[in-house]
Amino acid sequence: MIVRDWCMYCGECAGVCPRNLILLKETELVFDDSKCRECNICIEICPVNALEK
Amino acid sequence: MHWRNSDIMIETDVLVIGAGPSGSIAAKYAALGGANVILIDKKSEIGSPKRCAEGVSKEGLKFLGIEPQPIWAVKEIEGIRLVAPDGTDVWLNDEIKLPEAGYILERKVFDKHMAMDAGRAGAEIKIKTLAKSLKKEGDHYIVSCESMGKEFDIKTKILIGADGPESHIGRWAGLKTGTKPKDMESGVQFEMCNVKMKNHSVLEFYFGSVAPGGYVWIFPKGEDIANVGLGIIQTETDKTAYEYLVDFVESCPATKDAKIVELNVGGDPVGGLVKDLSSDNILIVGDAAGQVHPLTGGGIINGMTCGMFAGEVAAKSIKNGDYSQKQLSEYDKRCKYLLEDKMNKYLKVRDYLASLSDDELNSIAATFQDVEFEEISAVELVKKLVKISPKALLKLGKLF
Repeated sequence: MIVRDWCMYCGECAGVCPRNLILLKETELVFDDSKCRECNICIEICPVNALEK
Repeated sequence: MHWRNSDIMIETDVLVIGAGPSGSIAAKYAALGGANVILIDKKSEIGSPKRCAEGVSKEGLKFLGIEPQPIWAVKEIEGIRLVAPDGTDVWLNDEIKLPEAGYILERKVFDKHMAMDAGRAGAEIKIKTLAKSLKKEGDHYIVSCESMGKEFDIKTKILIGADGPESHIGRWAGLKTGTKPKDMESGVQFEMCNVKMKNHSVLEFYFGSVAPGGYVWIFPKGEDIANVGLGIIQTETDKTAYEYLVDFVESCPATKDAKIVELNVGGDPVGGLVKDLSSDNILIVGDAAGQVHPLTGGGIINGMTCGMFAGEVAAKSIKNGDYSQKQLSEYDKRCKYLLEDKMNKYLKVRDYLASLSDDELNSIAATFQDVEFEEISAVELVKKLVKISPKALLKLGKLF
């Protein structure tokens, strides 16, 4: 996952990830890509469109 | 979640993860009840950045025994103004009783003060401390933490997950937290100055296609300052919440000349209470537990009230030496008694409002011009709505 530099680190993507694979540090998003099934919910829900595959 | 053992182990009775208002008050009441408490937060500054429109009811603060301080209760609210898509407005203020009147908070100050209350009650506070994973071992949890480059474990009899909409803690422990996209309001907000409201002591709400599945708010913070924001259900549109807000601000007379000094973003779980709020050795509170009003998206008072319950129940369990689900289920009972019926009703109101077209909203606002409101509350609004709208009567009549 590419996290674009205008990410606000709000964690909304982490809250909706159905597999609980996104961990928000204070200013870093950590994706567990190995278990991702590419449902794209995190990309679609981002309020500022900061996620890209 | 990958478990990693650390050489350092800290032991405690109660570990609260997340120092928002719900977590802090849980820590406070657990400490007041005699438990050893650690409160951790991953951020370097509690309360910042805010993820919130900052409105809170007077009644709610009073119930929690919190005396409003001018340093964080920055503006007293005297009423509300509802605005339909065509600009027709409905005012609820002046002569009406005000059971839901309240304050606008400065959350960055408020949250810190709530954490200080927990600290003064005896809780240990660790900021910039991230919970990375957890595991259940016998009659306790071990939480693997990281702070400023150091790793350590915290062994706790009771774990309280107050980690907000991310809600990892509950899910790692097997509870059904986490939010479906259709139940997550995507919120974006500007704090602005030079905002020209018709009345600077009134909350404004704008409905319709300006914010699909939600609404726009303008919450005054004193002088010409206001939080201008919106929540939308992102699955109902291709436009981002941010784009909706930029469009609104440019077109709304109150904000078109206003200046942005802050941008806030965040998700608000409005799908109702999580089914189970506790399990052996764990409780969940606040946004992580879905303790958010489904219609307004407000969650400070609900979350804090449940947080207080969680702290009390945790302290009692520590005293009794019993951290089983059976013992902790008193917390579920108290939260459900307080919130469940109310939330189920408002979930239906939310669905109903989301189904209305701009034309229907305009017509409701026009009819509301001749309606006399007896109090300023969501209940009163829905009751009057049911009286004037046959469609509303059909969908909501039995509930209100």
